[in-house]
Amino acid sequence: MDTGTKISAIAHVSLIGWALFGGTFKSEPLPMAVQDVSVISAEQFAALTAQRNAPEVPTPPGTLQQPEEPEPQANAPEPVQEEQPSPEPVTPREPEPEAEPETVEAPPEPEVIEEPPVLIEPETETAALPVPPGPEAQPRPADRIAPEAIAPPPPEAKPDDVETPPVSLDEGAETQQEQQDQTAPEEAAPEIVTEAEETEDQSPRTSPRPRVRPNRPTPPAEPVVAETPEPAPETPSQNDEAAINDALTEALEGGAEPSGPPLTSGEKDAMRVAVSRCWNVGSLSTDALNVVVVVGFSLNRDGTVVGNSVRKLDSSGGSSAAEGQAYEAARRAVLRCGSKGYDLPADKYDQWQDIEITFNPERMRIK
Amino acid sequence: MNVLGKILALGALSVIAACSNNDPSALGGGAGGSGAIVPGSPSDPRSPAYFQQTVGDRVLFSVDQSTLTPQAKTTLQGQAEWLLANSDYVAKIEGHADEQGTREYNLALGARRANAAREFLISRGVAGNRLQTVSYGKERPIEICSTEECYSKNRRAVTVLTGSTLG
Amino acid sequence: MMKLLTSLVLGLTLLSAPVHAQSGPLRLEIDEGIIEPMPFAVPNFVPDDASAAQYATDISRVVAADLTGTGLFREISSDAFISRVSSFDAPVQFADWKAINAQALVTGAVNVSGQRLTVRFRVWDVFSGQELGDGLQLAGTTDGWRRMAHKVADQVYSRITGEGGYFDSRVAFVSESGPKNQRLKRLAIMDYDGANVQYLTDSAAIVLAPRFSPSGDRLLYTSYESGSPRIYVLDVGKVQRQELKTQDGTMSFSPRFSPDGRSIVYSLIQGGNTDLWRMDLASGQSARLTNTPAIETAPSYSPDGSQIVFESDRSGTPQLYVMPANGGEATRISFGQGRYGTPVWSPRGDLIAFTKQNKGRFHIGVMRTNGDEERLLTSSFLDEGPTWSPNGRVIMFTRETQGASGRATLYSVDISGRNLRPVRTPDGGSDPSWGPLQN
Repeated sequence: MDTGTKISAIAHVSLIGWALFGGTFKSEPLPMAVQDVSVISAEQFAALTAQRNAPEVPTPPGTLQQPEEPEPQANAPEPVQEEQPSPEPVTPREPEPEAEPETVEAPPEPEVIEEPPVLIEPETETAALPVPPGPEAQPRPADRIAPEAIAPPPPEAKPDDVETPPVSLDEGAETQQEQQDQTAPEEAAPEIVTEAEETEDQSPRTSPRPRVRPNRPTPPAEPVVAETPEPAPETPSQNDEAAINDALTEALEGGAEPSGPPLTSGEKDAMRVAVSRCWNVGSLSTDALNVVVVVGFSLNRDGTVVGNSVRKLDSSGGSSAAEGQAYEAARRAVLRCGSKGYDLPADKYDQWQDIEITFNPERMRIK
Repeated sequence: MNVLGKILALGALSVIAACSNNDPSALGGGAGGSGAIVPGSPSDPRSPAYFQQTVGDRVLFSVDQSTLTPQAKTTLQGQAEWLLANSDYVAKIEGHADEQGTREYNLALGARRANAAREFLISRGVAGNRLQTVSYGKERPIEICSTEECYSKNRRAVTVLTGSTLG
Repeated sequence: MMKLLTSLVLGLTLLSAPVHAQSGPLRLEIDEGIIEPMPFAVPNFVPDDASAAQYATDISRVVAADLTGTGLFREISSDAFISRVSSFDAPVQFADWKAINAQALVTGAVNVSGQRLTVRFRVWDVFSGQELGDGLQLAGTTDGWRRMAHKVADQVYSRITGEGGYFDSRVAFVSESGPKNQRLKRLAIMDYDGANVQYLTDSAAIVLAPRFSPSGDRLLYTSYESGSPRIYVLDVGKVQRQELKTQDGTMSFSPRFSPDGRSIVYSLIQGGNTDLWRMDLASGQSARLTNTPAIETAPSYSPDGSQIVFESDRSGTPQLYVMPANGGEATRISFGQGRYGTPVWSPRGDLIAFTKQNKGRFHIGVMRTNGDEERLLTSSFLDEGPTWSPNGRVIMFTRETQGASGRATLYSVDISGRNLRPVRTPDGGSDPSWGPLQN
C-alpha cells in the first residue's frame, strides 16, 4: 500500500473517529454565565431606609462565555474556572462548626392537605344519570394524567412506564435475565379533577361522556421487557458497534436486503402508544403547549435509539424558547421510552429504521 | 316604645361592649357629657344606655338587602325621636354584613345598609351633619357561628352615639 | 490492516448519503401524552470548603422544595442515588441518573468567602445527556442565601418549562390573629414560600387587601386607622405609609395600581353608593369611572392598561364586567350560575381569576377575558381574593374555615386546578398580593 493511501486512510479514520466520538470526548469548556444577586437581609430590611431606592445594579443574566469574567464586585477577583476539569480534590467535609453566622431554617415543607375524596363528580355533561355502579367509572384525582386511567399499582411495585412482572433468579437462570423488581405503571387519572369537581354529596350525578378517541384501537398488551425478542447481538451499550455492523452490512450487500412489508396500523399504533406514554407535557408552559414539533430519529435493530440521532425537524406555533422546550419534552419521550428498545417487528426493520413523529399537544392543553 | 325593639336591644347587650371597642371615644365621653343622670342607666330616657338598650341601637337586614323592614323602621323611628330630643348628640352608623360574600362586596353592602338607616333618620328630621356612616363589611361580626342564626344578627346597621356636641 | 480497511469502508459508507435507499422514514403523529410531575434530582451542591457546607446543603434543599412545590416536578430522594456528585466539574454519570429515572438533574457548587456567597449550577437533561442552557454563577451575600436558592430554582424551572419562574418573589398579605369577632389584622410581607415574614403595621386598626405596585416597591392597602376605611400607600423599603387623599367625608377601598404604576383605580363610597374612580398619583386628581346606583368594586387592570375588569351588582347580583380604562360602556363577562367577585387579570393577559359563590360554596376560578371557558379550581366553605404568580401559572388566595373557630389561611393552586396546598404563615393569613420577580 503506498504512502498516499495510508495517509488517506489515516485521515479518514481520524475523521470517522472524530465524527463518532467527538461529542463524548469534547474538551471544550462548558459555557458559564455569571449573575449578581442583590439581597437584603431580614435585619437590613427593617433598618433600611432611602438607600433601598438606590439602583441595585444586578448584573443581567447575560450569557458570559468566559468563566474568568471578573465580577463587578470590590472583592478579591474570584477566579471562576469552570472549564478546567481540574481534579480539584474535594476537601473532605469536616463537621460543620456550630458557629454558622446564620441560623438556617429548614426549607418550608408545604403539606398538601387535600382530603381524600370519596366520590368525584365529573363536570359538565348534562344527562343526569343514576350514580354509576363502580368507582372506576369516575375519574379520581391522581398525581398523573394519562390517556387511560390506571389503577393504583401494587404497593411494592416501582413506578415504571412498562408493566413488568417480577422475575426471580431461578426462573430466569437459563436466559440472561437479570432479577427484576416488579414494576407497574403509576396510578393515573384520565383527566384533571379539581377540588371544585369533587363533591361530598351523594345525590344523582351526571355521567361523563366517554372521551372521543378517533382511530384508536386498544393498544396491544405491552410487551414484557424481559421477553424482548431477538437475542440481539448488539446490546444497547454498543450502539456504535451496531452502527458499524449495519453500515458494513449495507455497504457489502449494496442495499439488496428486502425492505419488508409496511407496518400494519396496529404496529404503528403500538409504536405511537409506546412513545406517548413517555410524552409528559405536565411540565410545559402554556406557550410550549401550543407548539407542534416534528422530531426525527433512527433506531437500531434492537429498537433502541441511535445515539444522538434525535433531532428537531420542524416546529411551529410558539416562540423559539417555547419551541425549544416542546422539542426537549418530545426528545425525552423518545429517549426515555426507548431506553429498553421499542418493540417493533424485526423483519420490517427498514420500515422503522428512521422515524419522524409529529407531537401535537392540542388535546393536552389546559382547558 | 316597641317591645320587639327592646328585646332585640337586650339580646344584643352582651356584645355592645365589643362593638363600642371599635371606637374607644364612643360612649364614655357621651355619657360623661350628658349631665346629672347616673351614666349607664337604661331607665334614664336621656342616657346613651337608654338609647342603646331601650330604644334599640341596631336594625337587621335580609340576605343581600339594604331595604328597611317594618320592624327596622319602628326602631329607627325611636332612634330619630331620641336624637331629636337629645340634640346635643351626634352618631355614627356602622353598616355590617355577614361572612357570605367577598370582602369588597360586603364593604360596599355595609355602606348601603348604614346609609339606608341614615336616610331614614334624616327623613324623620335628624340633621344630616349629626349622622356619619362607616362600613365594616364582614370584618366585625358580633356572632361568630356560621349559620343563619348568627348571620341574621350580623347583617345590621348600628347607630353608635359618638359624643355630645355640648362636650 | 484489515481493520483499517473496514473502517475505511465504513467511513465511505457513512459519508455517502443517503444511507438508506429504501422507503422513507416512518411517520407518526402523537396527540396524546401524559401529565405528571417530572422526576428530578438535586444532589447536594458541592461546597468549596467546610465553611460553605451548610449553605450548600440548605441551598440545594430550597431549590428542590421550590421545584417540588410547583407540582410539576417530583424530587427523587437522595437515598435512591447511585452517583454521588463530589465535584462540580467532573463529567456527569448520566447512566446512573437514568437508572433511577431522574429526567432532570441540577448540579451545583457553593463558595463562601467572608460574607460573600457564590453559587454555580448547571441543569442537565439526563436522557439526552445535554445541558439545558448554560452554567450560571450567582454572587451575593451569605444572608441572602435563600434568594440565591430561589434564583437557581427559577432558572431550572424556566429552562425546563419554557416560562418564567416565580420563586424569587414576595407576597404581601394580612396576618390575622384572635377570634372572629375580635380579629387583629396586621400588614405583612414574606417570601413567596412563607419564609422571612415581616410585619409592616401594628394591629391597632383593621387593615385590608394590600396590593403591590408593578415594581414591588410600594403597597396600596385599606386601613381603618382614621375610623373609616381609607386607602394608604406604603413604601416597602422605608416602611413609611401615607394616606391617599380622596374626597372628604367618604370611604375608599379596594385600590389597585395601573400597570405603569402611575395611577390607581379604587372604589369610593358616597351616600351609600360605591363607584369606581381613578387617581393620578402625581397630581392627586381623581376622575369618576362608573356612575350607577349599583355597587362597583374590586377593579383590576389588564396588563396593557387598556381595560379594567370589575365586579358590579347592576344586574341584581354581583357579576363581572370589563370596561375601557377611562370608563365608558361595560360588558358583562360572567354568565354562569351564582355570584362572581374579585376578578384579577392574569399578568399574561389571557385569563381572569375570580371568586365565585354558588349554592353555599365558594370557588376560585379562571375564565378567558371574554368570559369563555370558565373553570373552577377550588371549592370550600369560603375561598376568595385570588392573586396571580408573576408568571401567571399559580393563584394564591384566602381560605377561611367555618364556625366559631373559623380561621383564614393562604392557599395556592396551579391554574390547571392541581397542586392545591396551604402556604404556611406564622398566624392566620388573608388577602395575599403576589409581587413581581425581584431583580
